[in-house]
Amino acid sequence: MSHAYHEEGITNLGIIKDAGSLHKSHWLTESQLNAITTTYPSPVYHPNFIVRILLFIVTLLGLSGITGLFALAVADAGETIIAIACIMYGSISLYLLEHFFIRDKKHFKSGVNEALLYQSCAFIVGGLIVLFDLEEQTALWISLAVLSAVSYRYLDLISTLGALLIFSYLIFSHLYEWGEIWRQVIPFTFIILFAIIYWQIKSFNRKTNSPSWRYNLLIVETYSLLMIYLAGNYFVVRELSVNMMDLQLAEGENIPFAFLFYAFTIIIPFLYLFFGIHRKDIVILRTSLLVLAMSVFTFKYYYGFNQPEVTLTIAGIAVLVITLMMFNYLKVLRNGFTRENLVPEKWSNLNAEAFIISQTLGGNQMKINEGFEGQGGEFGGGGSTGSF
Amino acid sequence: MTRQTLEAWLQKNLITKDQFDQLEPIASGKIISVYYELRTLLYLGVLLFSSGIGILIYKNIGEVGHLISIGLLAFATLICFWYVFSKSVDFSYSKVKPPTPYYDYIVLLGSLLFISFQGYLQFKYQLLDENLGWSTLISAVFFFFIAYRFDHLGILSLAITALASFWSISVSPQKWYSSNFFESDHLYITAIILGIGLILTAMLLDWKKIKQHFTFTYLNFGLAMFFIGSLVGLFDNSNYGFFILLILAGSGFAVFYGFREKSFLFLLYAFIFTYIAITYFLADTVFNDLPELIFYYSIASCGGFVYFIISYRKLFSRKS
Repeated sequence: MSHAYHEEGITNLGIIKDAGSLHKSHWLTESQLNAITTTYPSPVYHPNFIVRILLFIVTLLGLSGITGLFALAVADAGETIIAIACIMYGSISLYLLEHFFIRDKKHFKSGVNEALLYQSCAFIVGGLIVLFDLEEQTALWISLAVLSAVSYRYLDLISTLGALLIFSYLIFSHLYEWGEIWRQVIPFTFIILFAIIYWQIKSFNRKTNSPSWRYNLLIVETYSLLMIYLAGNYFVVRELSVNMMDLQLAEGENIPFAFLFYAFTIIIPFLYLFFGIHRKDIVILRTSLLVLAMSVFTFKYYYGFNQPEVTLTIAGIAVLVITLMMFNYLKVLRNGFTRENLVPEKWSNLNAEAFIISQTLGGNQMKINEGFEGQGGEFGGGGSTGSF
Repeated sequence: MTRQTLEAWLQKNLITKDQFDQLEPIASGKIISVYYELRTLLYLGVLLFSSGIGILIYKNIGEVGHLISIGLLAFATLICFWYVFSKSVDFSYSKVKPPTPYYDYIVLLGSLLFISFQGYLQFKYQLLDENLGWSTLISAVFFFFIAYRFDHLGILSLAITALASFWSISVSPQKWYSSNFFESDHLYITAIILGIGLILTAMLLDWKKIKQHFTFTYLNFGLAMFFIGSLVGLFDNSNYGFFILLILAGSGFAVFYGFREKSFLFLLYAFIFTYIAITYFLADTVFNDLPELIFYYSIASCGGFVYFIISYRKLFSRKS
């Protein structure tokens, strides 16, 4: 069994999208784009991103009406009947998705698909939990199985992320329950486990040429890199040990293997950076920048966070100077890297960038009626919007 | 994009050999662009530095550190504007290509620092002590000037938010979340009027072909203010009929413009606000007596809408 979609349709859709972004960046002429569009016909229904969001919201609203009627119909039945009805309701949704929207109407990630898919997952898993009166961990294993199957069959990216989160939580909670020694090795288990997953994906990608699951795999790849880092990060390990495992630390005392986690916190970002540059791998390169920032934060958190404005100013100067130097250094092609925007990323959008700027950088104006105290008071909310 | 795709294109004569030779190293990953990575870092640098120095100048007043930070601020502002003017391209009514890939971030940093500096001067010499609101207006005027002179969408957004906050309206989803959209009563009237003003300005400038790529930003802020203002008016008044008409009129405009320019975001706004308004009206009149009807209503309205979008897919297709 493979994914549910029209194989050639979605391959061609990918090709047309590629041609579109090449045309936008003036690599292809208008007539070439049209020729490519007619050579690779794609019958699938896959509208614009905003229309997909619109369809998702509207479908959810409509489905909630159906769910309401369904709830009225079964409200007076017993718990078992309701659970069975939920499973049936979820299965019917899934059948409708598979046979009507995907096979007949050729929908591909249209927003309608997602709404139906999440509804059926929720009802099937929820029904099973009530029917068999499952414990938390069993329920999570079932959710993991359902979400993995759904990611595989419908190429759904949110389900993939959900499956990964549940998987990590399950590993964590099992090791946590097994007791003393197992708790100690949680970080190392995570590092080894996700390193294996990462290498498996890399070697799979080398052998296979651009499979339909490439975006799902991209999510697993990035997630694994982040997990390897976070499991070795001093801040994460220390705070989890103190909060979850009742580790009592006296003043000046440190967590077990502290030196190792300090080392991981410093080395892993640079290791990522090195491999990113050496292998010309943009995924690990981007991750390295992200985790580098996390490492800086980790050290600032434990050593001298009492003058945040000085830190902000100096960090700002450092980042600006380094980046501008990089821009000038990469004026010419060096080792295959360039500063020029060759092919625009599909998510890049000047209007979105302008919106982010207005939401995060507007804090330097005087606020009415707040006077001096309000100065710069708004910058804090912007920290999370790093990429656009 | 993969190498195989390019080879297939070449075989089918869809691209020339020259194009293949240029694109092949990009597709196979021999050449990698770090444009977005470096731009994201620049954004972070601007965010960190302007926030840090913005706080720093008000700390330790009268001490050496204070003087150093003021000096640093003035120096950095001068450097930015020296760079901006020495590299500047002549003003044009259409879109201008920036001279370097990081030019717009230097413009942004310089403008933010300048605003901090003038704010500090006003604070120190009590220039506008009577009415601090004027300071925001000065910021807005300055931002508008920079936005048009150096063709900067981000600064245009800052100008519009500054203009709104002069009228005490906060154009920030973070504030809406904590339901602090309007800082005092009846501001929704101001929001509606300002929203209409922004929309009219946008359409006028668009019609006169002055910086047409700015139109989206104006309309986005204008429509958001207009719709949220009307919605607050709808919930606040018992005679809400007028606000429902306002929302319908605004949605009519958003749908008209959205289809004309293929700006689907405006269609999304139109749907959300019209749906809320109509549901509110029906909840107030019909659903009180017949509560089950709400299920049929949501099935019929949403089902019909999904059917409409899918059946008329040509209307919703990308701009060719």
